[in-house]
Amino acid sequence: MKAKKVIALSVKYLLLLLGAIISTLPMLYMISTALKPNGALYVFPPRFFPSADEITLENFGYILNKGGFLINFWNSIIVSVITVAIAALVSSALAFVLARFRFVGKKLLFGFIILTMIIPGTTMIVPQYELAVGLGVVNKLMGLIPFYVAWVIPFSTFMIKGFIENIPKEFDEAVYIDGGSLYTVYFRVALPLASPAIASVTIFNFLTAWEEFPWANTVINDDAKRTLPIAISGFFGQHQFTQWGYVFALSALSLIPVLLIFVMFQKYFVSGIQAGGVKG
Amino acid sequence: MKIGTNANRLRVASLLLPGLLIFGAFTVYPILKLLVMSFFEWDFGSMFNQTFIGLANYQEVIQDEYFQIAFQNTIIYTLVTVPGQMVIGLLVAALINSIKRFRVGFRVIYYLPVITSWVIASLIFRYVFNTEGLLNYLLNNILSLTSSNVRWLDSRWGGMIVAMVLGIWKGIGWNMVVFLAALQSVPNELYESAEIDGANVLQRFFRITLPSIRGTILFALVMLTIGGFNVFTSIKMITGGAPAHQTETLLTWMYYKAFSTGKFGYSAALSFIMALTLGLLAVLQFRLMQSDKAGDAL
Repeated sequence: MKAKKVIALSVKYLLLLLGAIISTLPMLYMISTALKPNGALYVFPPRFFPSADEITLENFGYILNKGGFLINFWNSIIVSVITVAIAALVSSALAFVLARFRFVGKKLLFGFIILTMIIPGTTMIVPQYELAVGLGVVNKLMGLIPFYVAWVIPFSTFMIKGFIENIPKEFDEAVYIDGGSLYTVYFRVALPLASPAIASVTIFNFLTAWEEFPWANTVINDDAKRTLPIAISGFFGQHQFTQWGYVFALSALSLIPVLLIFVMFQKYFVSGIQAGGVKG
Repeated sequence: MKIGTNANRLRVASLLLPGLLIFGAFTVYPILKLLVMSFFEWDFGSMFNQTFIGLANYQEVIQDEYFQIAFQNTIIYTLVTVPGQMVIGLLVAALINSIKRFRVGFRVIYYLPVITSWVIASLIFRYVFNTEGLLNYLLNNILSLTSSNVRWLDSRWGGMIVAMVLGIWKGIGWNMVVFLAALQSVPNELYESAEIDGANVLQRFFRITLPSIRGTILFALVMLTIGGFNVFTSIKMITGGAPAHQTETLLTWMYYKAFSTGKFGYSAALSFIMALTLGLLAVLQFRLMQSDKAGDAL
């Protein structure tokens, strides 16, 4: 009986290990390709790992020095940070009001906000493009930020609202009795107590803005205004032969902030996804 | 709580307005505009050619041979990738739930593909599935499963297979996290009493686990169906719709018609057909799950 259990457990670990390898292999291949000289990318037979004498940092050097890609990093950081800051503020305010007050049309409003989550964002790209042209924000970072904020408002509001509803109303009442206004309750009770939910949606919103491709690819043409995803995809249009070494060096660099955030805020990731899943 | 005084009304409005303005201008307005555009011959660039043509755009979309290919591709992509990621994700979650050591480590590793951006993951897959790429080398030269290099990206089904493998690979981690939480919320006593009754692993899974996590399954089904219809970046990066628009999906075809041929009206109609299809599917999925539940109660 004991031997049987040991075997069963070993099989489990083996299966999990196999899946873990499949999960990480593509990223390892990306890094190993970025470490090979650009000319050696289609040698036969293809090698998974570069040989010791061909390992080179020339692709990374090109990206960081000559290629002028730092501006793309900077653009992505500006767009993502401003997007999550505005989204956190307006969504938490919406969520607070929807969670705490009764007013005419509230159910309809919330229902409509939820309904828009069903519609894939890309389907709206045509009227949004006309709107961007009309507002004169094509080829500007301002052509990205408000669209991203609007895009993440429904999910953020939904998540934060659920969290605020679980905060006991006695906290609010204590503030009102002390003569505090509705603003005091929002800033001193709702925001601090809902901060786990706000942190969780902020991380998701950051990743959304950081990796968004279809809209940025539509609105931005100017090299200097490109965010990272379209800078990476831009390698295909520019050169007859794709320089995979450069592509993957830039890709690997653009994944570093994502990995850092993921490792640092792992528990918010998990709680964020699971809050939706278990309730649903 | 009632809002009460006028001063409070102003305060509530000041909290609601910024969010509603942004949401209204950049989401609600485009949705309404989309509906309007779909009834017009609306060519971008020539601002003057905006003629009301009723349902002609819808008719053109439905009769368009390439729309039908794109529709089929999207349905097939969804039918393959949604159950694919759910089954594997649930299996991984069950495995992780049944071990004691390295749980966090496995959870982190399996989640890595989810946080890898679509652009980057698509490019890696394109590179691996290249005719001279690593996968063909493995299949052809090492395992001898094929007699010559498969030209994955040069055919409809080859390209679709690559996109679908990517879709499943990238989605497993999300399903794992969602299902792991659900599995942990199933009361242990249920399993213990079933074990005493002599139920084996499979019986316990189908009789206890599956019914207990029904709500989570529905949630995942609805979310992933939306995600499946949303497939865009992977196709654009891996095949670009080639060869001859054979691997287009609804969104890539909509995008092509709008931004390569300027037919905004056509694309608007297509978008609306897609949104309606998704809405109907969501309602249907909810109904199915609910009637299932009612059946159990009897």
